[in-house]
Amino acid sequence: MTRPPGRIIAALVVLGLLLAGGGFLAGRAVAPAAITPTTDSAAAGFLRDMQVHHAQAVEMSLLVRDRTDDEAVRQLAYDIAVSQATQSGQMYGLLEAWNLPQASPAPAMTWALLPATDGSESGHHVDPTAPSGMPGMATADQIAELTAASGDDAVRLFLTLMIAHHQGGVDMADDVLARTDNSQVVSLATGIQRAQKAEIVAMQQMLAERS
Amino acid sequence: MATPPNRPAAKPPTVKEQRADKRALQMAAFKKQEQTRKRTRRFGIIGAIVALAVVIGVVTTVIIVNANPPQSPPLSGELKDRVQLYPGLERTHVTTSVTYSQTPPAGGPHNPVWLNCGIYDVKQQNENAVHALEHGSVWITYDPATTTAAEITALEALTPTSYAILSPYPGIGDQMAISAWGAQLRFTEVDDPAIQEFIEQYWRSADSPEPNAPCTGGIDGPGRQR
Repeated sequence: MTRPPGRIIAALVVLGLLLAGGGFLAGRAVAPAAITPTTDSAAAGFLRDMQVHHAQAVEMSLLVRDRTDDEAVRQLAYDIAVSQATQSGQMYGLLEAWNLPQASPAPAMTWALLPATDGSESGHHVDPTAPSGMPGMATADQIAELTAASGDDAVRLFLTLMIAHHQGGVDMADDVLARTDNSQVVSLATGIQRAQKAEIVAMQQMLAERS
Repeated sequence: MATPPNRPAAKPPTVKEQRADKRALQMAAFKKQEQTRKRTRRFGIIGAIVALAVVIGVVTTVIIVNANPPQSPPLSGELKDRVQLYPGLERTHVTTSVTYSQTPPAGGPHNPVWLNCGIYDVKQQNENAVHALEHGSVWITYDPATTTAAEITALEALTPTSYAILSPYPGIGDQMAISAWGAQLRFTEVDDPAIQEFIEQYWRSADSPEPNAPCTGGIDGPGRQR
């Protein structure tokens, strides 16, 4: 029994390596499943529905740009169209990166009916009167009305519709923030909220000045 | 000279004997040391092998985990057998009428202006509808002569609310079709589950040439319902 510490140290080193290696392997094996949302998750549902929501905002912005010479409104519409088209592409890309279909396996906004995971009562912003149940979406008739309008009428209608549309977008972002921890979706939803809340204030002021 | 028998115990060991005993003791101690050293070395070797195995395992796992998933999920059984694929379609803009290889067309040269997505109750221009397919839309077509009102209602219900066109296409008989750029499924029953599978696979798919390009802001064809 001249050198027991040598053996013990060797055994400890082996044990330590096994634990570290095993833990790392387990972590690697489990982590991707935990960070990549599934097709029926709130994160995936939000990314699909918000693309449809954003597409309508782009459509309305381009419609009003063709129907008015009001520079401030044209500038705002340009801003909304380009930023929302970009965000739409980001949402499209995330779903592709996660290897999920763009088509939803369930009706729109089903994900917002899932229980909140942050302990809040936040969400369930489903509007059965709006197209697809998405809050703030303009109806086909309202789009037709905007298409037929021109000048100041078009501007006032656009501002009214877009304020409601942005508010709906903020609500949808609320719904997903209460239901996902995915950092990319959290960052996107937070950015959408920040931009749209600021634009709501700007549009309310613009509408008041033009009423 | 004969070897002496057992020496009486009382007799003190000779110098030679003392030296031999000492050597034996030293030998035993040395053997013990050697054994310990061997065991330590064995532990070292085992440890190194285990560590190497762990490293190989970790590297392999990392490579597998980081491997790119397939570009699009593989087609499932029934759809795979039934969907017609048309790779390498031309994408030029033309203002003339085009003779397409498929009826209804599933891609090819098209008008610079795309058809706005929606539900139509009148036949649409192929050249505009094909441009919508290029943007990732699907196009559902039926023959008004052979399709009942109930079937049309069912088709409307399964048409996605964006990036989708539903329109009559006289002359195709009971072979209704759902088309995307470069892919087409023919069906005779509106409750065919392959229609949903086709939508999941091709609606706004990254396989289309310009996914996420708009399906609004083009032209409304005649007879737009929604």
